[in-house]
Amino acid sequence: MSAYSLWVMEYAAVPDYPQSGLIYGMHNQGTRKLPYCYVVIKGQGQLAMVDVGYNHKAHGEVLANTYGVRGWHSPREVLGEIGIQPQDVSNIFITHCHFDHMGNIEDFPNARFYIQERELSKWVWTMSLERRFRWLMLGIDPADIMRAVDLARQGRLVCVDGDRENVLPGVDVHAAFDTHTWGSMYVTVRNDLATNSQSSFVFCGDLAYGYENLRGHDPKDPEYIPIGLATGSQFNVIMTAEAMVKSVGGDVHRVIPPHEERLKDLYPSRITKAGLRITELALADGEKSQVA
Amino acid sequence: MIDEATAAYIVENQKCFEDLKQVASQLAGLLVLAAAGSKEAAPDHPTLGAARERFREADDALRRARPTDRARPHYEHLAQAAALIGAALKESREVLNVDRILIPLRAGYTELEHAADALPGFQKIAYDRACCGGARIQ
Repeated sequence: MSAYSLWVMEYAAVPDYPQSGLIYGMHNQGTRKLPYCYVVIKGQGQLAMVDVGYNHKAHGEVLANTYGVRGWHSPREVLGEIGIQPQDVSNIFITHCHFDHMGNIEDFPNARFYIQERELSKWVWTMSLERRFRWLMLGIDPADIMRAVDLARQGRLVCVDGDRENVLPGVDVHAAFDTHTWGSMYVTVRNDLATNSQSSFVFCGDLAYGYENLRGHDPKDPEYIPIGLATGSQFNVIMTAEAMVKSVGGDVHRVIPPHEERLKDLYPSRITKAGLRITELALADGEKSQVA
Repeated sequence: MIDEATAAYIVENQKCFEDLKQVASQLAGLLVLAAAGSKEAAPDHPTLGAARERFREADDALRRARPTDRARPHYEHLAQAAALIGAALKESREVLNVDRILIPLRAGYTELEHAADALPGFQKIAYDRACCGGARIQ
């Protein structure tokens, strides 16, 4: 039984991203493609997403010209490939508040957004610090904060404090405090809806960029290797990796890093006319494949 | 091409731009908490004190700025941003009324975004320190 269809939707990519930025210690070891993706969860009468991508109007030109980000397409175009409209999305889980994960809030006018309260309150604390602490503001777009104010005014911002089960049937959120960011979280989909699920997926945001973070360089002798960028502690990143991998029964490939290009080697996928990949992790009972 | 006088203007006014951006962020952050119903969000929150101090520094710097013709549009956006963000700060003195503060604040931040687009050297966010930072190509 599959309660939900799950798709990873690429919306832009950096063709040549230094591996050292993703996997701790991989200095001078070349580059890899870094896709920018969000996740669609559809089933049980629900249409939800994990993260929403960055705001092209605000950042597209700089990211394209200075950072080599290519192929950005709007949620309308990207989601249209699987027959979904942004206005139909009802629930969105923001894994953390970096601009490339929450910048497109305005494109989802009917969605309720779930964010860890700590992610918001620690922003505010960080902003009160002297200028010499500005590194701690990395990846935060002040315009996103103002959009979050609007969400709160409209009653569409849900501040979560820690773990919460069954936010949607079989969909849980888990706090990962002081890791990649102050209040990161990951999302678990128990796709058989069972308490002790045998078919869970974990959507980890930037708590892992690639599978090396979750199993090291030698799959026969696995180890956790921290990500290349953490505001919090690498110890917490590693312990969160353990929690995520345990929650999927040790099958690291059921932990889904949205920036991992090699998902295509594990799950069926297709490339759209716009050159973007759609990866299909699961199909709800009765749902038609979008990649066949 | 940027002439020398304009380059000097850019260097001298980066801190002013960053300070205004920081003040806008601080105020917006408090508004999120206020709109979400947090008890922490009040006019005596230490973040607001820091914001007012930083705004004074930015405002002083703006008065000292000497824009070239090339820098004039940037300066005008920056000055407009300061006026609007200053108005938002004034609104926050006694009560954190989200609706009344957000209108000038958002307009002020939009002016900052226009300023960032008007001259090189003024970043809306610190891309270099974000996830994409490692991909810098120029």
